[in-house]
Amino acid sequence: MKGRLALDKAFTLAVIIVALAGIIPLLHLLATVAVRGGEAILRAGPGFFTELPAPPGSRRLGGAAPALAGSLVLAVMSTAIGVPLAFGAALFLYEFRGTRLARAARAFLMSLLEIPTVLVGILVYVLLVVPLHGQSLLAGSLALAIVMLPYVATYVESALRQVPQTYREAGLALGLTRAQVALRIVAGIARRGILAGLIIGLSKAIGETAPLLFTVGGARSSVNINPLRPGDAAPLLIFHYAQTPYDNWRMLAWGASLVLVAAVLLIYVVAKAFVREVRM
Amino acid sequence: MGLLEVKDLRVTISGRKILEGVSFTFKPGTVTAVMGPSGSGKSTLLRSLNRLLELVPGARVEGQVLLDGEDVYRMNPYTVRRRIGMVFQSPNPFPHISIYDNVALAPRLHGLAKSREELDELVEWALRKAMLWDEVKDRLHRPPTELSGGQQQRLSLARAIAARPEVLLLDEPTANIDPVNTRKIEESIVSFARELGMTVVIVTHTPQQAVRISDHILFLYMGRQVEAGPTRSLALEPRTRLLAQYFKGEL
Repeated sequence: MKGRLALDKAFTLAVIIVALAGIIPLLHLLATVAVRGGEAILRAGPGFFTELPAPPGSRRLGGAAPALAGSLVLAVMSTAIGVPLAFGAALFLYEFRGTRLARAARAFLMSLLEIPTVLVGILVYVLLVVPLHGQSLLAGSLALAIVMLPYVATYVESALRQVPQTYREAGLALGLTRAQVALRIVAGIARRGILAGLIIGLSKAIGETAPLLFTVGGARSSVNINPLRPGDAAPLLIFHYAQTPYDNWRMLAWGASLVLVAAVLLIYVVAKAFVREVRM
Repeated sequence: MGLLEVKDLRVTISGRKILEGVSFTFKPGTVTAVMGPSGSGKSTLLRSLNRLLELVPGARVEGQVLLDGEDVYRMNPYTVRRRIGMVFQSPNPFPHISIYDNVALAPRLHGLAKSREELDELVEWALRKAMLWDEVKDRLHRPPTELSGGQQQRLSLARAIAARPEVLLLDEPTANIDPVNTRKIEESIVSFARELGMTVVIVTHTPQQAVRISDHILFLYMGRQVEAGPTRSLALEPRTRLLAQYFKGEL
């Protein structure tokens, strides 16, 4: 008896240690971003959000305005392109599950998931940047939309699938069409899961770097929000500035990292607060 | 209207025979109890009447189902289901919308009410018919998940009749319901036939329920129609040994 109790305690302890081993690096990462990013933003003041970056090696920090503005435009546009497509794809997969066409569509989405995102950037480069003679926020948005598509679609579809069949039957038994049942009933019941999918998409749009390398342009000599002109993005600024030897630029990169993390967290909290879970 | 005739109905699912030759006429203003042991094809019969069986992969229906003389398998399935409503074994009000919206959903989508007032009246009417109005009138805009199981089943009844169907199918609607709620549901069902002239078809496992509420009994055994006739005479004198055994709980 004693031996079994001891074994139980030892096992519990082991589980706690393993769990901590997983959490500690994450906490360390978040803490570092918070401390160093916070330091950068405090030093730059409100100018962090409104000014251009200072020249390399300068004692001033300047700000990350082009990157933050660009990221905002990219997030809005890529979501506007990607989410309706993903939602449509998810509804299709759900309604026509089991058919050959749906299996093909799923295979396509899964392979999209496997494509290195830098290649998505190159694809858009060939399809959009070359014909339009220049990089642009639009090209970046398209690349991000393609990257988020399979994530959002798979998430939304699995949320739809978790809705018990009895509600779908009840809707059809009332004489509702398949589209009405899918949109008004199944999607309504699955709203929390669908929201999780949208958040995944939005955080991809805000955080992804590789799809932007060949598409957005990293133009930060002025603030641009015109979709057809080159712009900047927060992850791009971090990617570029973190590799430089200039202290002021590296600090800007830390500051931008904190803004990114905070933005994703904020979206998550706000969305969770507004969309109530459906109790079944 | 709402005369439902079934002629030599045969159903297979992935090649397996589920129903073999059911023929029966469900008349407006009457309640028909479909009875039989588990696996005798009762639910399949119900679902082939409103074409819900089409959701089942591999299901094949042969023979005819006529609604007022028109073959439902040649009609638009959505029209069929508007005219033939259904209530399921487990209460399934939509959990994401309010009690009111559950009842108002079909009338809204089918354009059954011309104004807000008319819709309110229709919702109240349906809830009264399902004997639920007094219990929910002060919380119409709360989610249905706050109701008890029996209340939820009565809400499912109200939701179904708010679409103003001519035929109502019920698949063991009181199987998981306490006696008090069962009595209310039974009273509602009888009034749908007597007062609204609906054609009511109820699958039930309890002979007592069939005797209490039905005018006719359709008895199935292993996919075959064994007996059909007026409840009064069949309950007193079953013509077949199978039905007699079933009534005695020996099947």
